[in-house]
Amino acid sequence: MTEKTLPYTRLDICNRFLESVRHSVVLGLEVVSATEECVRVRMPWRDDLVGNPETGVMHGGAIFAMMDQAGGMAITCRTFPTFEITPTIDFRVDHLRSPGKGRAVVCEARCYRLTTHVAFVSVTTWEEEGDDEPIATGLATYTRLKIDKAGTVVGQ
Amino acid sequence: MKALKTLIEECRSGKADYQALIDRVPYARFLGIQVIAQGDELTFVLPKHDNVVGNPTLPALHGGAVAGFMEQAAIIFILLQMGEPKVPKTIDFTIDYLRAGLFRDTYAECSVTRLGRRIANVHISAWQKNRQEPITIARAHFLLSDDGATD
Repeated sequence: MTEKTLPYTRLDICNRFLESVRHSVVLGLEVVSATEECVRVRMPWRDDLVGNPETGVMHGGAIFAMMDQAGGMAITCRTFPTFEITPTIDFRVDHLRSPGKGRAVVCEARCYRLTTHVAFVSVTTWEEEGDDEPIATGLATYTRLKIDKAGTVVGQ
Repeated sequence: MKALKTLIEECRSGKADYQALIDRVPYARFLGIQVIAQGDELTFVLPKHDNVVGNPTLPALHGGAVAGFMEQAAIIFILLQMGEPKVPKTIDFTIDYLRAGLFRDTYAECSVTRLGRRIANVHISAWQKNRQEPITIARAHFLLSDDGATD
């Protein structure tokens, strides 16, 4: 089947993926856009995600979780229409500066290299409607587990 | 509400429960983090609950939740054990996933690899069955405040 005749898009698959991940739903993540090249994910500011009670800045862990989820979906968009399970091998986040209190954040994840068993991903995060200076950057690797139609991992 | 600095001092002098400090951080409450103190040793706990699940069919913990737990554990560790008066800023956080995080309680311990005047390098290890088989290891750099005591 060619891509144009498929009954679902990359955005559909990403939304379905996200909805199945309980922690990402609880964080309030939303897929903004999903193309072959990149995925954009948004996380609204929320007072229960604050890491520093004195400044109201969102916790780095919440930002990390968003970037990790977005990285996985960037691979989904590369392997589309095949869906694979992609556990994270390693992930490094640099927190360049703090996002402002009350500001939603948006990240863009790209899978810039796909090998038989490993996917290489980069992620950049900004404040929504902020200036163009990123608040965080990340580099990650994921391993590719192929699944059959029943959703079982194959080739292990 | 007490100033964070006062609460940290009270925790360190034994006047306040360590959990009171954790509960002051909204994100730590969101994850449900607990701390067990045995003498000077601190073990952090991420109790299993629905909100930290990633893959529901396995079910497995979300890697991001485990990472957030480890980063928060390191921050609390710095506040309690190093007398840092303010929440340190995370400069970078690097995590290796070694084993699947199953749907069960997760534990973490921290150690300071190098403590400079401005920057602390912290190693964090998380496990479920036993600490010899970590599910994840991480290292992070934190920016300390200028008026931090390093006793």
